This record gives sequence, C-alpha cells and structure tokens, in this order.
Amino acid sequence: MIRPFGESALLVELGSPGRAQALAANIRNDTIPGVVAVVPGLESLLVELDARGMEADLVARVLQERLEQTAEAAPVGRQRRIPVTYGGEHGPDLVDVAELCGLSEDEVIERHAGSELRVLFLGFAPGFAYLGELPEELRVPRLATPRTHTPAGSVAIADSMSGIYPADLPGGWRVIGRTSVVLFDPRLDPPAHLAPGDTVRFEPIRE
Amino acid sequence: MIEVLVPGPLTSVQDAFGRPAWRHMGVPVGGAADAWSARLANRLVGNADDDALLEITLSGFAVRFDMTASAAITGGMTASAGGVPLAANAAFSVRTGSTVRVDRGWGVRGYLAIAGGIAVGPVLGSRATDLRSGFGGHHGRALKAGDRLEIGASTAMPTRWTGSRWDGPIRIVPGPHAPGVSLDGEWTVGPEADRTGVRLDGRRLAELGEVPSMGLPLGAIQVPPDGRPIVMLADRPVTGGYPVPACVIGADIGRVAQLRPGDRVTFVSVSVEPAREALRQAEEELAALEPLEAPRDDELGWVGSHE
Repeated sequence: MIRPFGESALLVELGSPGRAQALAANIRNDTIPGVVAVVPGLESLLVELDARGMEADLVARVLQERLEQTAEAAPVGRQRRIPVTYGGEHGPDLVDVAELCGLSEDEVIERHAGSELRVLFLGFAPGFAYLGELPEELRVPRLATPRTHTPAGSVAIADSMSGIYPADLPGGWRVIGRTSVVLFDPRLDPPAHLAPGDTVRFEPIRE
Repeated sequence: MIEVLVPGPLTSVQDAFGRPAWRHMGVPVGGAADAWSARLANRLVGNADDDALLEITLSGFAVRFDMTASAAITGGMTASAGGVPLAANAAFSVRTGSTVRVDRGWGVRGYLAIAGGIAVGPVLGSRATDLRSGFGGHHGRALKAGDRLEIGASTAMPTRWTGSRWDGPIRIVPGPHAPGVSLDGEWTVGPEADRTGVRLDGRRLAELGEVPSMGLPLGAIQVPPDGRPIVMLADRPVTGGYPVPACVIGADIGRVAQLRPGDRVTFVSVSVEPAREALRQAEEELAALEPLEAPRDDELGWVGSHE
C-alpha cells in the first residue's frame, strides 16, 4: 500500500519490519531518481521526494515494482550481548513491572534476559533501537506520566518491545535496569551500536 | 571571531538542512527550524545555503564582533547596533569591536548569518547543533556568555532581498491517516512550542488511536490521544506512532516555526499540485536579491560604534 504523505513524501506500508528494512536497503543500493531519503519505521517506509523535481506518481510506480521484487528479507545482523544491572536504583520500575505481570522480580529478569530480541528499527533518539518481541507475559503499558529524565543506559520495556536509552532523555517506558554499553557515539562509524537485524541478548550482572 | 555577550533564552549554531541522511540510526534531522529564513540570511551575505549561522530565540541576544564583517538578520526577530535599528533581510557591515543586539520581532526565531559562516566542524555531515543529544555545532550545546566562535573567510558581495513571503493562512495537504478529519480553521498555539513541534489548542479532535511507528516528514501533524494536534518541526523524533491526518506544506512550515504560545493560526487545505507550486514559488522568492555596495571604512553606513 503506497499513500501520499504530504506533498513531497510517500508512505509505503509493508506489514513487517523485515520487508520495511529490505525495501530501504534496496533503494539505498539502487537509488530511484526523485527520491531524496528513505526512513524505515516499524512496518513502513517513509520515502521523501524532491518535490521540485520528479512526479510522485512516477516514483510510486517504480516503488511498486521494487515492492514486488522485495521478499521478506529480514536483514542478517550481528549478535550483541548487553550486560545489565537489574532493579534497585538502576531499574526503578522493576517492582511495578513484576506486580503488573504477576511475577517475582527474579522471574521478570529471567524472562527479559532469556528472550532473544531482534532490532526491528531505530527511532525516537540517536541509537535508540526498538527490540522485539517480548514474551506475552512481560507486556506492560507505558507509564501514565512519562519521566522528564531517564538516564543514559536505562533498559526499559513497554508493550511488546524493549529498548535502551542512549542518552539522558525524557521517556515513558518502564525502566528495569541499566547498562554501561555506549549505544551512540557520533565520532564512530557507524555511530549506532545496534543495527536493524542484530539480535540482542541481555545478560544480568550479579552484584 | 565573535563573542557572545548575552545568549538570550536559546541561541544555537544551526545550518539549513541538518542531518536528513542519518535517520535510519535514529538521528533527527534538526537544523534551522525556519530553514527558509536561514537560507535567506546566508544568501544575503554571500554564503552557501548550508553554511552555519546562529538561530536566536525570542529575545535578548548580544554578540560582539572582533573583526569587520558583513552580516544579516532574517526571520522573526529584529537587530540593532548602538541603539540604531538594522534593516532586516539586507546585509549590513559591522566594524571591529561593535556589538549587535537581536531582540523581539514578529516571530520567535531570528537568523544571524555572518559572511564566511561560523567555522565549526561538521558532525555526521552537518554543522547543526543537536541540542537533545549534545553533539554538532558549538560543543553540542546552546551558546553561553563568553563563547567565542571563529568565522570563515569571505570575499562575497553583500545583497538585499527584494522578494516577498506568503503571509496568508498556513496551507495543509492530506496525510496518510484519518481522511475524514479536517484541521481547517483557526487554532491557538499552546504553551508547548519548541524546535520539536508546536502543539495546537482551541478545539480537540476525536481520539484517533495509534498507528505502527513510522517515519515522520517535516510538517506532519500528529494527533495524540488527547486530540490536540502537534505540528512536527526540525527536531522531531525520527518516527512517531500517532495518526497524521494532514501535513503543513513545505513552503509554509518555516512560518509555523515562528509561532509563539498564544498566537492564532489558520489552516486551509490545498491539494498536492498547488502545494508543490507554492514550494517552487518560495524557492524563487529566495533568489530575489540585489547587490549592495559594501561601504568603505571612512563612510557612514557602518553599523555600531566602538563600545
């Protein structure tokens, strides 16, 4: 499904993170005249056009052809291990998460660290990777009132996803632990530690 | 070299285009909130469109020039030197030791360009300051009193702008969601208005639910569950999960970035073709420049006295 998104962009809805990333990679490798940028979302790709140049209809036709060529090709990434100190001052929401899930704190840690999560896409802030999917029993809603300050390295969950705050940021996800891994450094190439397709496993640090 | 004497509420080094190519790593585009005005300021002093300049917010900024330079102020603020107002949208010459003040005007953001551009190194392809993540620009932060900034070399001729800018209602085009929902009519700018976005009050739309997180173009109008629309600006997050029934067109988004809390704003729907035509028009107006002669040192026309 290709929809207009303002006068100089199209939103291509692909239904899965793998296809969204695959179409983004396809366009980056073989550029389409008139397309100036592509931005993958969870299940979609934002395609920005040079509004002064090529007609959107023509780009939409090329995109349709590319869509047909693009298989469900979840990108193959690296395996990343993220050491985490769970609970206490580092994970202020662990107690509430355990209560919401009807589990003990140790069971929450066990299930979070026991899940192999995949980087679905990056968004929200530089280096912030959306990791999915969490097992059903760990799914909790966002905080009713977001925090104005969530420390860098905070490991958090909300709905079906987990994430790590790369910097001190406002945030509404529930923080269950903290890592010292640097998620984003603009001086590095690439600047983000995690990329779509990477698999992530959290490793509890026992103090 | 220039030295910041009074930083005002928020002054930062920005460029017109930010970092559009790094969004797949979560990096927001950023750059000047009113990019059209930033480009105009650069052109007036003979800079490239993407040279670094100062984005000054709201009121009370002062800077001392430690060299002779051509400079220009555009956007919603006014400038003066030695108590004498400086014409907006035209280059002016500044003597060594002069202080230029930038203060309140019709909008919330002013752009001060200096011939040669502010010499900061690019980070991820841009000189813009990412204020939230703390990189780019001048040490990744807003300017403080005492900050000294290098200025590049320039031999360009200064110019004056003779064009015009659309001052009618803000034009919007359909977004990908909620086709039956109209945002046409008058709104009031809410207290939350910054480089990320401008929240609108005055009436509430019906709750539209959530959508899977998707890339957000400049000008997308998100409607969160409280029904108060937010127009997304330069520092918007890369992705968002609220429905977008409409988008502010590219030609008018810079004017939204000039709104302050309490301002009234009117939206009017247009179709895609007039929206593209408006952008072509805005590009043409940007090029409406005529040469100004730089004054010789012994003539009047230099602004500012030695302070």
